[in-house]
Amino acid sequence: MLLFKQSFMVNKKLIGISLAGLTGIIFISLVLFQSVSKFQIWNPGRSMATFQLFFFSLGIVYSSLSFPAFRSKEKTMFYLMLPASNFEKFIFEFLTRIIAFILFMPFIFWMTANIEGAIVHRFVPESIGFYYRFPFETFLKTFKHKDALEGWHKFRNIQICLFAFVAAFAGASYFSKSPLMKTLFMFLIIFGGFSLFTYLLSKGLNLTENSISGNRILFFKNNDEVISYFAMAVMAVNLALLSIAWFSLKEKEA
Amino acid sequence: MVQIKDLNFAYPRQQTLFTKLSMHLEAGSITGLLGKNGAGKTSLLKLLTGQLHPDSGEVSVNDHNPRKREVSMLNNVFFVAEEFYFPAIAINDYIEIYGPMYPKFDLNLLRNLLGDFDLKAEHNLNRLSYGQKKKFLIAFALSTRCRLLILDEPTNGLDIPSKTVFRKILAGSLDDNQLVIISTHQVKDVENLIDKIIILDNGEVIFQQTIETISQNVSFVSGPSDDVEGAIYTEAIPGGYRMLMPNGHTETDVDIELLFNAITTGKKIF
Repeated sequence: MLLFKQSFMVNKKLIGISLAGLTGIIFISLVLFQSVSKFQIWNPGRSMATFQLFFFSLGIVYSSLSFPAFRSKEKTMFYLMLPASNFEKFIFEFLTRIIAFILFMPFIFWMTANIEGAIVHRFVPESIGFYYRFPFETFLKTFKHKDALEGWHKFRNIQICLFAFVAAFAGASYFSKSPLMKTLFMFLIIFGGFSLFTYLLSKGLNLTENSISGNRILFFKNNDEVISYFAMAVMAVNLALLSIAWFSLKEKEA
Repeated sequence: MVQIKDLNFAYPRQQTLFTKLSMHLEAGSITGLLGKNGAGKTSLLKLLTGQLHPDSGEVSVNDHNPRKREVSMLNNVFFVAEEFYFPAIAINDYIEIYGPMYPKFDLNLLRNLLGDFDLKAEHNLNRLSYGQKKKFLIAFALSTRCRLLILDEPTNGLDIPSKTVFRKILAGSLDDNQLVIISTHQVKDVENLIDKIIILDNGEVIFQQTIETISQNVSFVSGPSDDVEGAIYTEAIPGGYRMLMPNGHTETDVDIELLFNAITTGKKIF
């Protein structure tokens, strides 16, 4: 609790400015996107797509700002000497940088989108193609969609969403300078290397010619198995990334 | 309170700094940690506070392994670093936020020390000069009443009156359960304050004695010539020489600078 209190009291101005900035960016972006069709074509689906764009891009940027103390030597010393355990510091960062964002971002977007819609509605002539309200149920409908959140699909989507944030979080704990750029570069190398390896392996084993049927993918029996395997693999990667973040904090030196 | 046994440490891709370093310090003293630039003073202090991790060997502070950075260790150790960070908040807010993190925090003592250092509680830390920030940091450190206080170059950046206040408050704010380690090059600032001297050179403890033992065994005298029989070490000063003599007839104040120069030039004083 003391960590929450100290973080709030030290950063209250920054939190306020960031929230205002976030709201402003969403507001202006919505106006710009809607102005493309001269405010004649817009619906909750488009708002939802805009939300997803912001959710991932801003979420990744925000997570990459985790462990802000690690950006300078003096701040690192101050942070490491704070009388709180490594576990408390880790949980605090995880909660405030990932969980809080996932929980609050939909509310902030929903509120801003409705305010923006109401203002636009007041000044722009009505059009049947322009639906200015953004009901909160849109989020729920998206998550209730048949394929989106059922069984392994649900698990996979959650893991992919977490992966983006957890990767940026782990990068922020590991790299002191320019963590986002370095993390992106690192994953580019890993994915590039993995793709090249897979390609060379499939060439070497002549997998395309050896497939029994068009639907069969290596040792999987059906598409669901592919998704469950993929979901488990992403979860394993997420756990590995969280472990990297934890050990980076635990072994951090100033 | 502080126990170091066979400590080995090297920075990555650099020469070994400490090889089998051992040291034992008990509460109730103000220990001066001296050494040339690069001798490893700050690194040793960071190893004691868990900011650096040893390659091997044992480090124990208040029966804790600093590497683990447990709360029960961190709330009883305060490190005043030479280069430090403060959040951009008022002194009052800083006290309100960080004071409760130290179980023995003494708010009355802090208020008195702020008065001694001429600091106002409503001042914003970000708008203070380096010296003023340093004074607040020292005052806060003393007010935590941590069992181990580590001061790295505490008088750097302090003006002359503040150095006097520093000596006064350090001597008057400690109790017998506390250990203070002061690393400094400004030996004159701490001359009558410290009661034990440790000298580090090339990653080794080359000297470790109490001031009492030193003054019982050697004398520090001045004279017009350095041609004095039995002098262990002499150094030219304006108008004559300072000399380190074997146990004389009179006990003299310990001239730490002369002692340091003698020891680091390889003189065996006793």
